[in-house]
Amino acid sequence: MISNFKKLFSYHELLFSLTRKELKVKYRGSALGFFWSLLNPILVMLVYSFVFSIVMRLGIKHYAIFLISVLLPFNFLSNSVNYGANSIVANGNLINKIYFPREIIPLSIVLANLTNFFFELIALFIVLGIMGYKFYIYLHILPLVILVQFFLVSGVTLVVSSLTVFFRDLQHLIGIIMMIWFFGTPVIYPLSMVPEKFQFIMKANPMTVFSIFYRNIFYYVNYPEELQFPTLKVILMAVVVSLFVFFLGYFVFKKLEPRFTEEI
Amino acid sequence: MLEESLASQNGIVTNTNSTYIDTDGNSTVAVDVRSISKIFRIYHGKNPSLKDAILKGKRVTYEEFLALDNVSFSVYKGETFGIIGPNGSGKSTLLKLIARILVPNSGEIVINGSVSALLELGAGFHADLTGRENIYINAAILGMKKREIDKKFDEIVRFSELERFIDTPVKNYSSGMYMRLGFSVAINVNPDILLVDEVLAVGDQAFQSKCYQVIYDFMRRGKTIIIVSHDLETISDLCKRVAFLKNGKIEDIGNPIVVINKYRSYIEEMERKRIIEQQKEERKKIFKSLVEGERKVIDGEEIDKLSRVSINGEVVNRFGSGDAEIKRIRLVDKDGKDVDFCKYGDEVNIVMDVLFNTEVEDPIFGIRITDHRGNIVYGTNNRLNNIRSGTFKKGDLVKVIFSQRIVFIGGTYFVSPSVGYKDTKTYCDWVNNMLTINVIHHNRAEGIADLNSEITIEKISS
Ligand SMILES: Nc1ncnc2c1ncn2[C@@H]1O[C@H](COP(=O)(O)OP(=O)(O)OP(=O)(O)O)[C@@H](O)[C@H]1O
Ligand SMILES: [Mg+2]
Repeated sequence: MISNFKKLFSYHELLFSLTRKELKVKYRGSALGFFWSLLNPILVMLVYSFVFSIVMRLGIKHYAIFLISVLLPFNFLSNSVNYGANSIVANGNLINKIYFPREIIPLSIVLANLTNFFFELIALFIVLGIMGYKFYIYLHILPLVILVQFFLVSGVTLVVSSLTVFFRDLQHLIGIIMMIWFFGTPVIYPLSMVPEKFQFIMKANPMTVFSIFYRNIFYYVNYPEELQFPTLKVILMAVVVSLFVFFLGYFVFKKLEPRFTEEI
Repeated sequence: MLEESLASQNGIVTNTNSTYIDTDGNSTVAVDVRSISKIFRIYHGKNPSLKDAILKGKRVTYEEFLALDNVSFSVYKGETFGIIGPNGSGKSTLLKLIARILVPNSGEIVINGSVSALLELGAGFHADLTGRENIYINAAILGMKKREIDKKFDEIVRFSELERFIDTPVKNYSSGMYMRLGFSVAINVNPDILLVDEVLAVGDQAFQSKCYQVIYDFMRRGKTIIIVSHDLETISDLCKRVAFLKNGKIEDIGNPIVVINKYRSYIEEMERKRIIEQQKEERKKIFKSLVEGERKVIDGEEIDKLSRVSINGEVVNRFGSGDAEIKRIRLVDKDGKDVDFCKYGDEVNIVMDVLFNTEVEDPIFGIRITDHRGNIVYGTNNRLNNIRSGTFKKGDLVKVIFSQRIVFIGGTYFVSPSVGYKDTKTYCDWVNNMLTINVIHHNRAEGIADLNSEITIEKISS
């Protein structure tokens, strides 16, 4: 495992190079491209805002901010997994012709989505600043939360990208799983609306724990009476689960890697 | 499924303590392939699907295909090594194993030095990105650091001659331009060991000769090169040693002339078998049409087709009455030693031993020499030279010597000896391609014969 990480590190330039490529292709090489990529979360935000603050009336102030503060981090997960799933198969040509540690491909997708997430956060900060949100108060926690989430996202992406090589129809399943995960995480609703007995199960999902943090940092900071940080036990569990998923994902990937070339 | 996936393991060793050490304490083996086997799975039906695996509990069924079977060889440092063989013999698989793209099922490959594989040019180019962007990405994939790429960037562009298009997305490139860019990046990676699979024939004539210059340059700088190609001329020009791969096994390895000849005769053999099959089919067709059409007449073309195969369907390699039998034919050098090759200009004897089974009056002893394409290069006999052979009785063993100077261009030639009756139309014995002669020659000429021209160049006026 350690030698694998060493080798991965020796290829870090390639990892960054492929990450840049992903972003370039995504934005088609223009700043306008980035704003174009914002369209998707904005539209989703508009739709849910309409549904939950006008039709169903959850009674949440600034529902758009409430939603987007967790929607963006969740998109980091779901985009990485959705694009990552097919990445090994899609890069079959490359894998068939040139040797390099294959985990670079899914990891470059995760990194590209992480970069995109950063850009979106900057856009969010601007909006929050204009609206007078004091998002800077807990900002120092943010890097840690993102780091832990990065491990979780990488682990899941590594697993799905390697399994998809052997079961091509996994891709379709992943869409459904991600949808269940989305609704099982307090993105469009607050955790407080969930009945007490389900809350514990939901907290086993690290994404729930991350979303509590994200929402505190960006949204509840303006409604201090609602601020409620998770207990240390819950936090530790999220960290352990995330790291476990990462190492498991890496392990599975490395075990399956030798057979990628011939299966593609 | 998973269980089995977990079983395979990395068989590549990057060497530290090789057993091949030269006097300077450096290892002299660049690539050591040790008992490598590679098994592919051929799945039945479409790709294994999760749905079938889970819902129907269906196990994935597949056949195993042994693409490489216990292959071992070493390539020495600074050597240019060729791999030849028919389609599907495992050449690309072997290169991919050396390049670590595939992992062997058993055996190991020890590699001394950095490897770069030219298995496909422009692999991983992204159509939407420009030539410049793709150079950076492709070079990084091939293992170059950003700093090195910066340094080599201009050289890469210059070599590809695509200066004007370097900021154009590669989707607008012609396929030749695409390949040129790919080649330019690949050769600037500067590995110790270069693997080349059928990619030398890219671009137009001018670019191709540039590619060969690069390969020669690599050779001069003492790099190790392993080339896979179907172009036997290229292989014999470039390689110091050649391996002939057949059905995943090494059929022969060593001197290019010898190995390439073996491969050529194998191809010819296969080609002959194919022709025989084809002719059998034609015979069947002709007979069928005769029966069905209730025809009694066979037209000339059909006779020709029917007569090209013997009754049992084999191409006739030997024919004649058998009154005399060619027992043996040898190539003998001027010291009287049996040889199987000679140099251009050598005096050699072709010696045949003939045994007579009945009395034959004035038989004609002849030889015919053909090149590897079957063209008749030369033929002679005692009658053409106005030599009467005399009468031979049953049981006579006769030695016939043809002495000549070999003035052929380098290559392989086949000798077909014959003993004919004095009517010049029928034969006691005729054996096709009984003797093979390899002629070694520095290629200063093309064609079949070297007339050894002296060339003078004078200026008449200015
Ligand atoms: N991924 C794979 N899965 C299953 N079989 C494979 C795979 N790759 C190669 N093979 C089989 O292995 C054999 C050897 O293939 P390989 O590509 O090495 O041949 P080759 O000698 O390079 O042929 P060519 O001269 O046509 O390039 C072939 O029969 C091929 O069908
Ligand atoms: Mg091949």
